[in-house]
Amino acid sequence: MNVLSGLGANTRRTLGAIAMALVLLLLGSLAIEGFGAPFAIRSMLVLATFIAVASIGQTLVVLLGGIDLSIPFVIGFANVVAASLYGDGMAFWLVCFVVALLSMAIGALNGALSSFLRIHPLIVTLGVGTTVQGIVLMWTGGLPTGSAPAYLSEFVSIGGTIGPLPVPWVVPCFAVMAIFVHVMLARTPFGRQVYALGSNPTAAPLALIDPHRIVIVSYALSALFAALAGILLLGFTGSAYGDVGQPYLFQTIAAVVIGGTALVGGRGSLVGTIAGSAVLIELNTFLIGLGLAPSTVQAALGIVILALVSIYGREAHVRTLI
Amino acid sequence: MTAAAPIAGSTPARSHGIGALLAGRRESAPALVILVVLLIVDLWLNRAWMLPDSWGTIIGLAGPTMAAAIASMPAIMAGRGGIDVSIGPLMGFINIILVKVLAGDLGIDQPWVLVPVALAIGALVGLLNGLLSAVLRIQPIVATLGTYLVLSGVTLSLLPAPEGAAPAWLKTLAGPYSIVPLAGMAAIWLLAKRLTVYDWLMACGSDDRACFTAGVPVTGVRVFAYTLGGLFAGAGGLLLSALLGSADPNVGPTFTLVAISGVALGGVSLAGGRGGFAAAALGAAVIFLLQSTLTYFNVSSFLLHTLYGVILVASVSLNALTGRIAGGSR
Repeated sequence: MNVLSGLGANTRRTLGAIAMALVLLLLGSLAIEGFGAPFAIRSMLVLATFIAVASIGQTLVVLLGGIDLSIPFVIGFANVVAASLYGDGMAFWLVCFVVALLSMAIGALNGALSSFLRIHPLIVTLGVGTTVQGIVLMWTGGLPTGSAPAYLSEFVSIGGTIGPLPVPWVVPCFAVMAIFVHVMLARTPFGRQVYALGSNPTAAPLALIDPHRIVIVSYALSALFAALAGILLLGFTGSAYGDVGQPYLFQTIAAVVIGGTALVGGRGSLVGTIAGSAVLIELNTFLIGLGLAPSTVQAALGIVILALVSIYGREAHVRTLI
Repeated sequence: MTAAAPIAGSTPARSHGIGALLAGRRESAPALVILVVLLIVDLWLNRAWMLPDSWGTIIGLAGPTMAAAIASMPAIMAGRGGIDVSIGPLMGFINIILVKVLAGDLGIDQPWVLVPVALAIGALVGLLNGLLSAVLRIQPIVATLGTYLVLSGVTLSLLPAPEGAAPAWLKTLAGPYSIVPLAGMAAIWLLAKRLTVYDWLMACGSDDRACFTAGVPVTGVRVFAYTLGGLFAGAGGLLLSALLGSADPNVGPTFTLVAISGVALGGVSLAGGRGGFAAAALGAAVIFLLQSTLTYFNVSSFLLHTLYGVILVASVSLNALTGRIAGGSR
């Protein structure tokens, strides 16, 4: 709680999301046989990690009062580019470097367009994302391509272990990364400027915060994390597919909102988003465990998201904004 | 006013009415220019388009896209992040109910049943979205994302794969009578424009706090906006069923992004308070013409997808730049 204390008002919403994740785990274990089994928990952890990685960037831009709809397309882009370059024989570290640079360029373009031209980020990221997706589709012809290095698959495999620990390396690595990003948001000037700009875009420039720089960097980071998710997914599925990111469009938004971050900006935390990612995966597993068909699960997930958000994610009434 | 007037004046035949409706909407000017260029290119490539007999079919092809954009417009205009991403799945859901459940399973295919049912489902789901986002105060993108998931999930549960055939009268809405639903929507919009609630809608979109202090029922106005959008989506469901000629559970959701792109292209401000029926219809028409032009050149659907993104970004950027040069009223 020490780290959280700096966020004050956010703590309650974050704790709400964490409590929700724990309650669901308990409910699931009681209601469904095998839900609490080690293997089930391991697979939920890994799947939640993918959502959480992709949602880090969404959290950043939502804290700014923006939204990034290009995340699924950047995931697909990174997935396909990494597989192709690696398939062509490029060293994997170099592949990652190239993909990271390209993705950050896409993200920076998102940020620059929405910041300098003051266009709503929803439409900028949608347009840029659609363009990126089109290019990826043209390149691959819409078919799965490329391959992943074996150690990447091992890194994210549900059955992976670290010595005696029954989790693949991706889980602890993500935990370390999440701590870094959290400290960056809570303790560094950049993080505080993100919150300041998100809370009050008019006042922040008066406090000598350069809004363009913050927005561009945040969208570039968002694309970077999306690309990371795309590379991890490459290891998970073994070959690349341009549409692999599609489920992540709404899942990242849902994870952020369930995690208690307000879409109007300035309020929220990364810890909440991570808990939100866990809640999403638990819900999904729970509903499938109840024997529902995927289409019914989707409908039920919609109702549950509405119910959860109406409990603790409500917006302020306009009368309180005056 | 000065920026849009000469452009509107140079528009030939068809957009005469649109030009008049657009007067004073600088934001719509780039879309109008693109529309005219594309229309000329299309008419030149495809002489058959000039025959009045083919107009019904062309409008029928464009119908669902235009209806989806028009249906997305009121919620966006209501401001404070208002948006309805469930419009696409709603149209798909209505398609399934009309063609699969009513006409197929129950054998009810009379127009005086299906049309009111389509509009009622649309308006009710719109009302639900309005209640969720304005009364329950769930952030609109999340609230309508919830209904998006529910509607597309239920649609897939009712019908996992395309099947069935639409009644013959319904198919004429994609042919000779395709203008009827769009004209009906325009009539509803023109009627709404005469009501106080329209002024409230525009005012709330611009500054809801000032509206609230002035005694405008902000919440009610927003609920109205979503309901109106849902009603338009009902008409969109009719047009979609007519064009498909069958029940297809997978088509609906694809209209959501197209609709929002069309709305933005047409010059409806995503911040609220600016835009209208003509702007949304214009943006959607541009997207449709773009698709048909590129399809004529046998461009791969992938390149089409790319260009569609590029044009979206380019047009909104151009819009923002011209706004800045013109002194910006934002």
